[in-house]
Amino acid sequence: MFRLLRPLVLRQPLIQQKTYAVTANPNQASVNVLHNIEKEHERLLRVVERRIAERKTMYSQLTDEMSTPDDIAKLKQLKESEPLQDAWDKWLKARESFQETIELLSDPDPSMRALATEEYASLTEQLNQSVTETFPQLLVPPSETAHLGALMELKSGVGGSESSLFLADLLRMYQRLANASRWKAQVVTQNELEIGGIKDAILEVKGEGAYDTLRWESGVHRVQRVPATESSGRVHTSTVAVVVLPLMEETDGKNDDLFTMDEVRVEVMRARGAGGQHVNKTESAVRLTHIPTGITVSMQDERSQHQNKRRAFQVLRSRLMDRKITQDIEERRATRLNLVRTADRSEKIRTYNYAQDRITDHRIGLTLKNLTGVLEGDDLREVLDALKKNNDEEAMEDMLNSV
Amino acid sequence: MQQQLFAKLAAQLGRRQASLEWKWMNEALASAPSKNSLDDMVCRRCLGEPLQYILGTQPFGPLNLLVRPPVLIPRPETEHWAIKLSEVIRPAAQNPLSLLDIGTGSGCIPLLLCHLWPQGSVHTHGVDISPHAIHLANDNALLAGFPPQISDGDHLKHRNTFRTTLANFLAPTFPEEAFQARPPFNIITSNPPYIPWKEFLELPRSVSEYEDPKALFGGPSGLEFYEAIARFVGREGMVSSDGVVALEVGRGQAKAVEELIRTTGRVRYTEIWKDPWGVERTVIGRM
Repeated sequence: MFRLLRPLVLRQPLIQQKTYAVTANPNQASVNVLHNIEKEHERLLRVVERRIAERKTMYSQLTDEMSTPDDIAKLKQLKESEPLQDAWDKWLKARESFQETIELLSDPDPSMRALATEEYASLTEQLNQSVTETFPQLLVPPSETAHLGALMELKSGVGGSESSLFLADLLRMYQRLANASRWKAQVVTQNELEIGGIKDAILEVKGEGAYDTLRWESGVHRVQRVPATESSGRVHTSTVAVVVLPLMEETDGKNDDLFTMDEVRVEVMRARGAGGQHVNKTESAVRLTHIPTGITVSMQDERSQHQNKRRAFQVLRSRLMDRKITQDIEERRATRLNLVRTADRSEKIRTYNYAQDRITDHRIGLTLKNLTGVLEGDDLREVLDALKKNNDEEAMEDMLNSV
Repeated sequence: MQQQLFAKLAAQLGRRQASLEWKWMNEALASAPSKNSLDDMVCRRCLGEPLQYILGTQPFGPLNLLVRPPVLIPRPETEHWAIKLSEVIRPAAQNPLSLLDIGTGSGCIPLLLCHLWPQGSVHTHGVDISPHAIHLANDNALLAGFPPQISDGDHLKHRNTFRTTLANFLAPTFPEEAFQARPPFNIITSNPPYIPWKEFLELPRSVSEYEDPKALFGGPSGLEFYEAIARFVGREGMVSSDGVVALEVGRGQAKAVEELIRTTGRVRYTEIWKDPWGVERTVIGRM
């Protein structure tokens, strides 16, 4: 995935000027702290500044009566951006205090120096918090999917049985991550192979934020290792495809805004002869076809048709919701940038290399030299956090570019 | 060891079915560990015993019902039409209906309707000739949260109820004797024994050797019970003037049963519902 970095020509000189103004200070290292924070979060700060400038303009455009429809709309927007203004004021104030404190760090009075050191630490903390938490939270629009759980579909790809063995490892990794995150994970369906491993599986993860966290797992996961089944010690490369869907709550198979019942064909899977009292074999498999999109969902893991149907409708609803979300994103991007970047699910997103004990996420170029930690679920968080941060930054970049 | 056991099951059922049943057995063991061993379960299954008896339960709509030999195991066809019936008829607590289920077996039909319909909107009655069935139906009523015996207490007015009666439906004295439920009924449901002689001999062993023949065998023609039900419906005061009859039938019997209930003179409209496999499965009659 590449970044859509547009040449940043809309620079506001404010930050730079101030930063250079203090470089003459003897406490070079301390000054650099502020400089580094501003450098690292340059994009972010520029967006905030821009918003604050817009706010100022908007304020100046209000009429004296403050009661025209235009005024009322503006006042509403001003009210909405008030928290950002507050945060920005605090940032500027902390910044100013920081610069004052730096001068005091070389004060001849030792007690003054001690005081300044303390102040310096707390201000650094405060400035960091502004750029890593406060501003991003205020800028990135709240996620519409924050409350949704996730439905993870795993399918073995190239590599035959080794791919299925790796799928079982991934499934375990997600289950462990879910446990550690206090989400409820349940395997909805899985096709185990006789020789070991799992051909495909669906994992349901219920809990606040599960979808928003796990959605970055969609894509092709590649493993490079000597399979347990390989006697000659040759390294194999295999893949598992993961698709993460938003978990939709049931509406009892009734119509909802994703589809109508007329659009869904429900089929039972196998012939049953006379059926009824003549047969007591469990035949509960069900297949749904959503006619407008051609999406089909088969479910056979539950013991009754009713249960399989419920499950299948849940998966269908999740797939349709996923489709809707993807389309919404594409439309938004298309109208903004005249450029469509699709989240291509056939794209290789990550490599798990056993010999080198590393994983590399290709989208953000992140390598962790702790494969075991990731597969145990603990260190997967780190990767997911980095991916989320990357996404938030991209969302902000989009915002900047769209202004 | 486990692999051998699984291979044994797969040899009997085919790999696909075996892996599903294997999973369900393990799940059943995990939820009630003491009862059985996987070894026992697989052995019983390989001898031809129905999976449902081995697991001891069968999901039926949103309910999870107990099943015990020799009481008929609830079928997916029955689940399908009972759910459909619950959507077609919508009783309300202001005007509660009374329902008679003939040959109630595990109690699956009335209990599902009690579960799906608003509380206080239906009072159901199940009759069966088998003490095993009555016992099981009462256990299921308890499990599903519907009081099996009515104490005519006020607190039950706002609940759906299910009460059972051990009785021979074919007896000439039915329903006067030993039957506390007061006709007329608004709804008659039944999944009566409908397998004719000829087909009875060709049943799979898991059916004929494990399930109660009294729940399966519908006389030489397979229609004996429908004839009795038609007589019952035709009698004055048994079914209310706006009543509904819903009868499960065997493959190829729908037309004959439709004709039978039309000849009562009381049923004015009939409909035939197909099951999910496309077989004509349920005859619906409206007064």
